Amino acid sequence: MKLIVDGKRLDGRKFDELRDIKMEVNVLDRTVGSAYVQWGNNKVLAGVHGPREFHPKFLRDPTKAILTCTYNMAAFSVEDRKRPGPDRRSVEISKVISDALSSVAVLEKYPNTGIDVFVEVLQADAGTRCVAIVAASLALANSGVPMKDLVSACASGKIDGEIVVDLMKEEDNYGECDLPIAVSPRKGDVLLLQMDGHLSRDEYNKAYDMAVDGAKKVYDMQKKTLMDSMTNYVEGEGK
Amino acid sequence: MFNVKDREFVIPGQLIGDNVYCTENCFSAENKVHSSIQGMVRVMGTRGKIIPISGAYTPKRDDVVIGLVVEVLECGWLVDINSPYMSVMMGEEATKNVMEEDLSKYYNVGDKISVKVIRVNEVYNFDLIRPRKLNEGFIINVNPKRIPRVVGKRRSMLEILRKKTGCNIVVGQNGRIWIKSDKPDNAELAVKAIKKIEREAQTSGLTNRIESMLDDERRK
Repeated sequence: MKLIVDGKRLDGRKFDELRDIKMEVNVLDRTVGSAYVQWGNNKVLAGVHGPREFHPKFLRDPTKAILTCTYNMAAFSVEDRKRPGPDRRSVEISKVISDALSSVAVLEKYPNTGIDVFVEVLQADAGTRCVAIVAASLALANSGVPMKDLVSACASGKIDGEIVVDLMKEEDNYGECDLPIAVSPRKGDVLLLQMDGHLSRDEYNKAYDMAVDGAKKVYDMQKKTLMDSMTNYVEGEGK
Repeated sequence: MFNVKDREFVIPGQLIGDNVYCTENCFSAENKVHSSIQGMVRVMGTRGKIIPISGAYTPKRDDVVIGLVVEVLECGWLVDINSPYMSVMMGEEATKNVMEEDLSKYYNVGDKISVKVIRVNEVYNFDLIRPRKLNEGFIINVNPKRIPRVVGKRRSMLEILRKKTGCNIVVGQNGRIWIKSDKPDNAELAVKAIKKIEREAQTSGLTNRIESMLDDERRK
């Protein structure tokens, strides 16, 4: 399947162009923090519970909170019904998101507790782990848990020999490589780095740089979303 | 020097300033101070602090909180104070013969009490003393970070609420407020005013606006 026609991608985007992204925080009433992110055709909802008592008690940490993220894809999120419940891929993505968020959250402030982040993918269209991290990071900031920085994420990859940013479903399925990354935008620390496919050393450097640029654009949107939610809150239009 | 103005909103990780003295909710990295939460910056001369928008209540020494009795134990009562941390209130607070008596006759499951927090340590073990049972009335939940605004400077806002609505109001630092009134209309008015304070906590002139809002409602 040809993924680049007349120098443009199948959805008309340029090689360094991201899909349309919309973000909102404070969307759920039963959680302390929540966020909804629409990225291309991806629709992802994140909710945060906690800090709260951690069970089982013998596993709790008296020096810091334990942050756990649970990533789940809804049965209707993909074209062929996905069997409900965690599968190996969901468990892996849950782990990498938990690790990424644990490195930025100031967990020492709440010893002996647990902070639960739930990410539900309502509609999937490639790059869901990046969308999930972006949503989870917004929800965590919204909940008031102290963090050293937000987490931004973006994927890049190789299709038809070209390095492009933000792969969509067809590009992810038929492309040659997929490289999701997550960074802490202030310091540039890499919090998630995975690769699926083949890249030469130079291609990898180019793809990595493009993904980091994409993540920076996402960070600007995250910042604006949080700022807007605070102004709305004060002027009486929020929850 | 500060990179942000007084009353500006900040997000986690945002740079507050270089070589400045910032007290709450921030961290420093290589002499630069950053915010660790989303909130509003207050710059007062050379000092700064960040007022959070949201966050869980962590018990602090000398706080008066409103607790719910969750379980009656042999030696005391397990009390929920709307926090990730729970504590046992010792039976000695009600009686000298703790082991011989059935403690549920003093405080039973579901009772609302106002109680004082003392002796908080690094892992948030704490003690509760001087309980007072709150009979009748109801409890509303408010963002714990907004409670200082509901009380006001020198309790000014709370006095206005009490006087103008005629309700019994006990404010717990843990985000719970107990309201009791003979007239349900007054109680409803108090809830409406408190919810308005919670929404607009960071604006200025709020005390006057609440006072005029309550006067208007009472005239109706």
